[in-house]
Amino acid sequence: MKKSLIATLLCAGLVSGNAVAEVDISGFASVVGGKVLSGEGVPEFGLEPTFLANYPIVGFYEEDWSFKPDSKYGLQISADLAEGLTATAQLVGRGADDFNAEFEWAYLSYALNEHWTLQAGKKRLPLYYYSDFFDVSYAYLWIRPAADNYTWQIFNYNGVNAQFNYQVSDWTVSGNIYTGREDDTENKLLSEFFGSQPVREIWKNIVGGVLSLNRDWLDLRFTYMTYQNERYRNGVQVTWDGDDARRGKFAGISANVDYNNWVVLTEFNRLTLDGSDFDTYLLSAGYRVGQWTPFVSFADFDAEAEMHSTTSIGARWDFHSSAAFKVQYDDVTDDGIDGQMVAGDSKAITFGIDLVF
Amino acid sequence: MNWLKFVAIPLVLTSAVVSAEVAVVVHPSNAVSLDQAEISRLFTGRGATFSNGSKATPLNLAESAPARAEFDSKVLGKSSSQMKAYWSKLVFTGKGTPPKELGTDADVKAAVAADASAIGYIDVASVDASVKVIGKF
Repeated sequence: MKKSLIATLLCAGLVSGNAVAEVDISGFASVVGGKVLSGEGVPEFGLEPTFLANYPIVGFYEEDWSFKPDSKYGLQISADLAEGLTATAQLVGRGADDFNAEFEWAYLSYALNEHWTLQAGKKRLPLYYYSDFFDVSYAYLWIRPAADNYTWQIFNYNGVNAQFNYQVSDWTVSGNIYTGREDDTENKLLSEFFGSQPVREIWKNIVGGVLSLNRDWLDLRFTYMTYQNERYRNGVQVTWDGDDARRGKFAGISANVDYNNWVVLTEFNRLTLDGSDFDTYLLSAGYRVGQWTPFVSFADFDAEAEMHSTTSIGARWDFHSSAAFKVQYDDVTDDGIDGQMVAGDSKAITFGIDLVF
Repeated sequence: MNWLKFVAIPLVLTSAVVSAEVAVVVHPSNAVSLDQAEISRLFTGRGATFSNGSKATPLNLAESAPARAEFDSKVLGKSSSQMKAYWSKLVFTGKGTPPKELGTDADVKAAVAADASAIGYIDVASVDASVKVIGKF
């Protein structure tokens, strides 16, 4: 309802014949294919060998070739309404959802001054380093940001956001603070992968912030977010120790280096939910050789009973000014205990092309 | 085997690029002086004003123009692909808009000559009295 209202407002803004509106259309796409080379699956869930490449949208590979799990396209329409006001909508269709296009972003932006911009509407939650441009694979090194880190079932929010950008001697200091909520009536990850009953997942009273510090070759990012979680399974409210809501707190730090031809990418995150810690980290290194950037990567997820990691090796080839070819081999180890396995061990190969326009 | 060939070809292409000098130009009435870091800031969306506080409007060359790759590599220290990846992150997260792109040196000269806030770059060989050079790279 809210979604369609925002979309309608945006469309109205776009077609109202506003003579000063300058409309920009841009987009991105990824066509990626792959398969599991070998894997154990999870016999006790009846799960065949599976490589879960994308948790939130449940994009997974099996032993037959598939071009759906990582493939997607996005179309962004941005209307400059002058005097600092911009309306932006982004339609994204993902192979894992049979390429049905949905408004992933729909927001109004108002530039208060050179340093501050206010935004309201639907946006991606900027939790992890790559969360808010997760779909724009051209913008990063791998086929996808490490699945083990980017596991959370909610990745959008509706609310308001204030972002800033300052120059402090040699440092660019930027970031944002945001608040809002998300009510996902049938959450895909919880309803389809981690269960078989419809789950309504609510994250409310979301308050968070991001601080980024950049200079030359160094990029540091700090992120924090707190929210209240409510959940309905099959229409019945889930309780945790008798409470119908629980609080989650997410904190993360990322340090990236791009020096000469070396690229080192790291992030460390912790979600504390109801007193339990869910720790994730990512370590990646690449070296640019002309248009090629071969890389290695290790990502880990560690909670009390859910434990898994992925070792990856691959390469990005910038063969065209707007497109990159990527190939990646992922070796997943699933050490989950007490029924907390995700998809079992797997080895998978994926390759594809990312582009922007 | 084929793999090696793939790696070798781009290497040869990269090293075969002939370098030409790039001139960063502003409107003749603009008295600013900018160092490389300040120019880089304007063309990466990290700053929007000249050192005297007045508004700056950076103008990029299209990728088809030879001076574009020169500028990206010498002034911004990145390849054009890296710059595209950088901008796609900002554009699709609502954090920035890349500078407007113009097709040729002549287009940049005309735009800079007509706008006191403009800053662009062209091949040194294209410089004439309609614009003021504030740096060569």
